Amino acid sequence: MKMIKIESLSKSFGRHQALDRVSFSLGKGEVLGFIGPNGAGKSTTVRILLGMLKPTSGTAELFGQDAWKDAVEIHKRIAYVPGDVNLWPNLTGGEVIDLFLSMRGAAVDQDKKEALMKAFEFDPTKKCRAYSKGNRQKVALIAAFAADADLYIFDEPTSGLDPLQERVFQDQVRKVKARGASVLLSSHILSEVEALCDTVAIIRNGKIVETGKLEALKHLTRTQIRVKAERSLDHLKEKNWIHDYSKDKSETVFLLDTNHLADLLSELQNCNVTKFESAPPKLEDFFMRHYETDEEVD
Amino acid sequence: MRAFKQTGSLLFFSLKKEWLKFSLWVLGCLSFVLVGIIAFVSIYSGAADRQAMSAAMSNPAMQALFGKAIGLDNYTIGAMYSHTMTVMTLSLIGIHSILLVVRNTRQEEEEGMLELFRSLPTGKMAHSTAALSMLLISNILIAVFTILILLIFGDSSISLEGAILTGIIYGLNGLFFGITALLVAQFSANSRSASVTAFSILGIAYGLRIIGDTGLELFSLLSPLGLLYRTEPFVTNQWWPVLVIIPIMMVLGLTAFYLQSKRDMGGGLFPAGNGKRAASSFLKSLPGIIFRLLRMPLIIWIMAFVLLGIAYGSVIGDVETLIAGNAVIEQIIANDPSQSIVNQFISILLGVLSIAAAIPALQVMMKAYSEEKKGRISHLLVGNRSRTRVLLSYTAFSFLVSVFMQLLQTAAFGGAAMTSQPEGLAFKDVVLGGMAYIPALWVLIGAAVFLYGWFPQIISGVWGLLGFCFMILYFSNLFDLAEWVKGISPFYHVPEILRGEEGTLSLILLMMMSAVLTASGFIGFNRRDLIND
Repeated sequence: MKMIKIESLSKSFGRHQALDRVSFSLGKGEVLGFIGPNGAGKSTTVRILLGMLKPTSGTAELFGQDAWKDAVEIHKRIAYVPGDVNLWPNLTGGEVIDLFLSMRGAAVDQDKKEALMKAFEFDPTKKCRAYSKGNRQKVALIAAFAADADLYIFDEPTSGLDPLQERVFQDQVRKVKARGASVLLSSHILSEVEALCDTVAIIRNGKIVETGKLEALKHLTRTQIRVKAERSLDHLKEKNWIHDYSKDKSETVFLLDTNHLADLLSELQNCNVTKFESAPPKLEDFFMRHYETDEEVD
Repeated sequence: MRAFKQTGSLLFFSLKKEWLKFSLWVLGCLSFVLVGIIAFVSIYSGAADRQAMSAAMSNPAMQALFGKAIGLDNYTIGAMYSHTMTVMTLSLIGIHSILLVVRNTRQEEEEGMLELFRSLPTGKMAHSTAALSMLLISNILIAVFTILILLIFGDSSISLEGAILTGIIYGLNGLFFGITALLVAQFSANSRSASVTAFSILGIAYGLRIIGDTGLELFSLLSPLGLLYRTEPFVTNQWWPVLVIIPIMMVLGLTAFYLQSKRDMGGGLFPAGNGKRAASSFLKSLPGIIFRLLRMPLIIWIMAFVLLGIAYGSVIGDVETLIAGNAVIEQIIANDPSQSIVNQFISILLGVLSIAAAIPALQVMMKAYSEEKKGRISHLLVGNRSRTRVLLSYTAFSFLVSVFMQLLQTAAFGGAAMTSQPEGLAFKDVVLGGMAYIPALWVLIGAAVFLYGWFPQIISGVWGLLGFCFMILYFSNLFDLAEWVKGISPFYHVPEILRGEEGTLSLILLMMMSAVLTASGFIGFNRRDLIND
């Protein structure tokens, strides 16, 4: 059974179409990176999954149950961290964490809670009004990780965290994944997605533009190659799997469609190569490329 | 003068962003003055009416509420205005001034606006000075227009000297509390504790004045409200309190500026203490969190209602002399000669008190909406609580508050009324008369739940409905209104038990109406999207 199954989900607010036939799914024990620029529809999708918004058409199911109708049953098994955590200014962080945990209806594992507060270096005795954005996010993160959920939904959870705490976050995600839980990570921090996710779904203007295994997607990307050779390499320029061919002093720099690596090596065999560097494909390159081409189409 | 660089442009900017709130508050304070003077002139034009009023106003509860009775031997419109309006207006202007200063100093500091201003070439003190200038402008406006309003709408007893003195004490009082707010803002760690402290000082000033005006006069002099009340405009026109408060105010202001120049931005001289590490088991429940969020306003309402109930109750003994022959009041209560005039008067008062009791009850539903807008209702819904359950907690709390507040204030009112041993009036009847209004209150709550469920953006429309009910209650007998217009107000259908009216059926119908509205509100809430800014 899929943990999340979304099929041709649409949502409009008045005339504005926020989501247009979005489909993707998340399996058990998987971490899905849900990426896209601001305003693309990430939070709308997440809020539909949480039963806060009603879909205009299409289905959104969690654990095989309807996100809207069975919200209460579903919520017993999930933990959620919003991107912009708004807390009650006159309660302390510790009080809010306890409140969030008790709203889940399960007994609180005090040791786990304390350990998380320590890991995130969080002081629970301050009033929420005094917390920075990062500290407010920690409140929601601690409450989420202290719960034993089957599915964790994070909506840009680390935008206020420093790199050290970002690492704590990543460790915790790996821990819950090892336990067999699933994670939906909506984010635009691509390095984070790259470090954690098995699959990604890319959304833009309310439409899913790409979805699949991260490795498979990377395969579609281009690798940057820098070569120094004694013979001329200009014949490469003609190949349709070579892009942005240019000379940098005595070296040649170009982008290679990653699935044509073998072709390149055979072409280079007789060129007396003295230096060969390749920069691995990054999700960011793929993401940027995708967006640039899309913008050209627009 | 480098510390004050750019004060002018900051002031201009503040006025630009504040003008709406600023003008509403100034207009609000002035309309209080306007309504006061017009009401006195039109209702108490006869000397005999005023003399009757002076007897009622000199009882201890009234002196506690308004101040030591003054000018009783010749209770002119001026004396009456001075006695009953001064402390109330001073308190209102004090509230306005505290809010204005905290909003434009400490709150902007907390929200990071000050940081941006400071990074620009502005002086260290420019921001606070701009806020104080705004305080000065608002209080000058209040002072000048108060003088004009009093002179234009007052009668011959409103002397030029008295009017000017009134205007000046209003303005000085605003400046005093605004400067006090700036001073306590230097000590506090955040804007909330600054405003809480400043309001506590206002509350203590009011409390000291109560002690002073009902006995130990010295305490009144310690309170700025009591001190300024001692000017007695239109009665004795004393100027010495003005001369006393000006130097005190200047010392407070200079101290505030000195402390501000010494402290770090964002810091307070007294840092915030640590709070609780874990939540109590009460807080961890839905009713617990809702109660916690509304605790402060509820405590203040409880105190206000007890005070209001006792004050109104205390005049009952004098009602007969107070009303007899006053045509306007007789018309308001639709005097029926076959009934006791006291009972008729109480009947109207109970209606007014019930409208007041609706305010905290409706505030609970408003809170649900503001919590949703801030994305905090979703914190609760993401847990294993259903929408029905969350809304039920708010709604049940709102219903409870309506019953509790109504019971509390009618009991306070009835208790105080009994001390004068009015003929043919039983405590039980007063409380029952008050309870009869509860189904009407519930219709208003039902309307709020309905709006919350279906049209949350216009939920504040219930305030309009409440205002309408108030107008109908007060003025329906003065003007000839169509029956159906009056009928829109649920309060219109409440049987006036003290006048011997029977109305079990209309009470049942009101309750059914409330139930239908509430239930449909639940249906709406279960169908709509959550709102999030």
